[in-house]
Amino acid sequence: MNSKTRTELLYVVVVLVVLMAAAGLNIVYVLGHESNIATAKDPSTVPAGSTVINVTGYQWAWQFTYPNGTSSTDVLWVHVNTEYTFQVISKDVIHDLLIPALGLQVYAVPGHPNQVSFSVNKVGSYIFECVEYCGEDHYLMRGTMEVLS
Amino acid sequence: MSTESLLIISGVVLSAVAILVFLIYYLVATKGSVVAEVAEKSGYQDKDVFIRDQTWGKPRYLSWSVLSANDAKSIGLRYIFTSLLFLFLAGAIGVFMRISLVDPNPTIITPIVYNVLLTQHAVLMIYMFALGSAIGLAYYLLPTELRLKRDDLGRYSSFAYWVWLLGGVLFFISQSSMRWYMYPPLSLQMQTYGAGLYNSVGIFAVELIFIGVLMASIIVLRIILIDRSDDIPLSKMPIFAWAMVFTAIMLISSALPLMVGVAMLFYDVFNPIFFLKDPLTFAVIFWFWGHPVVYLAVLPAFGLMYDVITRFTKRPMYSYSSGVFSLGLLMILSELVWGHHLLNSGLGIDWVLFFTTSSFFVAIPSAITIFNMIATLWTAKKIRITTPMLFVLNAILDFTLGGVAGVMLANQSVNEIAHGTYFVTGHFHFIFVGVTLGVFMAIFYLLYPTFSHGRTYDTRLARWHFYFTAVGSFLMSVSWEVGGFIGMPRAVAGYFPQFQPYQDSAILGGVIIGIGQLIFLYNIAKSWSTVPTVDPSNILEYRTETNDPIESSDLGPIAAKEEGGSGV
Repeated sequence: MNSKTRTELLYVVVVLVVLMAAAGLNIVYVLGHESNIATAKDPSTVPAGSTVINVTGYQWAWQFTYPNGTSSTDVLWVHVNTEYTFQVISKDVIHDLLIPALGLQVYAVPGHPNQVSFSVNKVGSYIFECVEYCGEDHYLMRGTMEVLS
Repeated sequence: MSTESLLIISGVVLSAVAILVFLIYYLVATKGSVVAEVAEKSGYQDKDVFIRDQTWGKPRYLSWSVLSANDAKSIGLRYIFTSLLFLFLAGAIGVFMRISLVDPNPTIITPIVYNVLLTQHAVLMIYMFALGSAIGLAYYLLPTELRLKRDDLGRYSSFAYWVWLLGGVLFFISQSSMRWYMYPPLSLQMQTYGAGLYNSVGIFAVELIFIGVLMASIIVLRIILIDRSDDIPLSKMPIFAWAMVFTAIMLISSALPLMVGVAMLFYDVFNPIFFLKDPLTFAVIFWFWGHPVVYLAVLPAFGLMYDVITRFTKRPMYSYSSGVFSLGLLMILSELVWGHHLLNSGLGIDWVLFFTTSSFFVAIPSAITIFNMIATLWTAKKIRITTPMLFVLNAILDFTLGGVAGVMLANQSVNEIAHGTYFVTGHFHFIFVGVTLGVFMAIFYLLYPTFSHGRTYDTRLARWHFYFTAVGSFLMSVSWEVGGFIGMPRAVAGYFPQFQPYQDSAILGGVIIGIGQLIFLYNIAKSWSTVPTVDPSNILEYRTETNDPIESSDLGPIAAKEEGGSGV
């Protein structure tokens, strides 16, 4: 083996090892957090004890409907250290709800309800926003999540 | 808007388009008949054969006659300069969008105008600049690099060009605001608050662009695989030819499903039966094309980067075989990662597992390509830092930075935070500005004496063009990546005030890039008004084997001048 082939092999092997390690870590993460990844709505997979909040995206606001029947628009009220499950639907076009501080993201698709679970471990006020372009006032489709103790 | 005024406006627009098309046809046909007469006097029955024989093997420079001549190099010049025009149009739109974000609330332009500009910037940059310039350079460089045996598809190529151009112009005037994703139901909302009043024209225009680029890709593939000289075996082809083979195969295989999808979407405008109730299906079809197309913008650039590096280091590629192999692997793997654009849309855990894992693997051939380039530079005795070389070195850096951000996005945990934010915009602008635009500029500078029939440009101004482009692009993309990572959403006409610092530094970056391009325009305009002084031949066109050592005498008068620090 000449030095040229050795160099080539070296960089190919290094790249392979680094990327395969990263891909492996990603698989471990995905398999360990299935309920925190957006999937199609399925009541049988809602984690036990999780409070279901129905989320409706429409041009251009987010409406959150809580289990007691009340609802809020562009403001989300949740309690700290409590498990919640969003069931998300859109009334018109495709939207995408992102709460950056939680790393929580779920599409709101007409005719294709999705669900995703989460809990917050710190009291405070956090932003959320629509990150799928949805027409004129897409940029205003945003609000705050208030985490209460 | 009432139906009557809609009819009047669309009638006036269509008439204007028809008059323009007729005018172009008239000019082209008149010029064509003059050439045909000259050809007949010279004993030729076919004017295309006459033109080919007259121009064959000679440097082909820019003139109005390229609009009527159908030889491959004229078609190439048409594509290259048309894509340059669209680059400046879409670039100006981009800079204007940046400036409009100076305030967290839309003040300079309304959200509706912003959304139209957003859509036009993306569609024109990708379809008209990135694809157009790649096809143009293939038509321009390959006939001489591969010493074609025949050049008899000119009329089809010409048709492909005009259809592509018509598509681009129609898309621009359609004022579509559906974004380049074209997701229904938004793209079916024919209202100013949705996809725009004339979005049906926009969808139709996209289909026209597809027809044009698909035809051109098939012809490029034939040029390379069938028409090249018999004494150039596949194993000796220039790496740019390989890059174009993979580009064309990728384009042909992934464009067709979306062409059917876009036709169905167009039907949905009038009778919504396909995608209105099932929009995710369209999204899936779209990304089957949408992801490969972003690789279409870099694959040809990779081929050209190898060409420039070998030229200015006087070294063969470190490894020709692994260079070709990694480009081929890039083609295959990049067709298997499109699902990562829909990771959070509820398509299932299996979907997430498959597409995140494949997204890591697509980085392997990209990394091998970059290492191959670095190894070539590493083993060179001397590297001549010319403006084209600077653009290519910067492309290596930017591709690495943008590529690492891409690998980060392949992690589902990062994707959930960063998808749909400016982090993604930063990731691909690093690559599009650094590689697609940068390498195009490098090649443009190298070919400029040929394009201009022997004129030279001001190297000092060209350097400034490079510095402004590189620094502006870095500042803009880094600001986006940092802002995006803390949740700054993309594609918005306004934003939370807390994101202002990142927006402001990105505006500064965008303006710096804009100034750089103005320097380029000034340089070219200044040069065009001078008298031709240098030999218009260039090495890119005539070198056939990238894997052979290059003698310094092959570098031609242009390079010699550059080395001396004067002239080009």
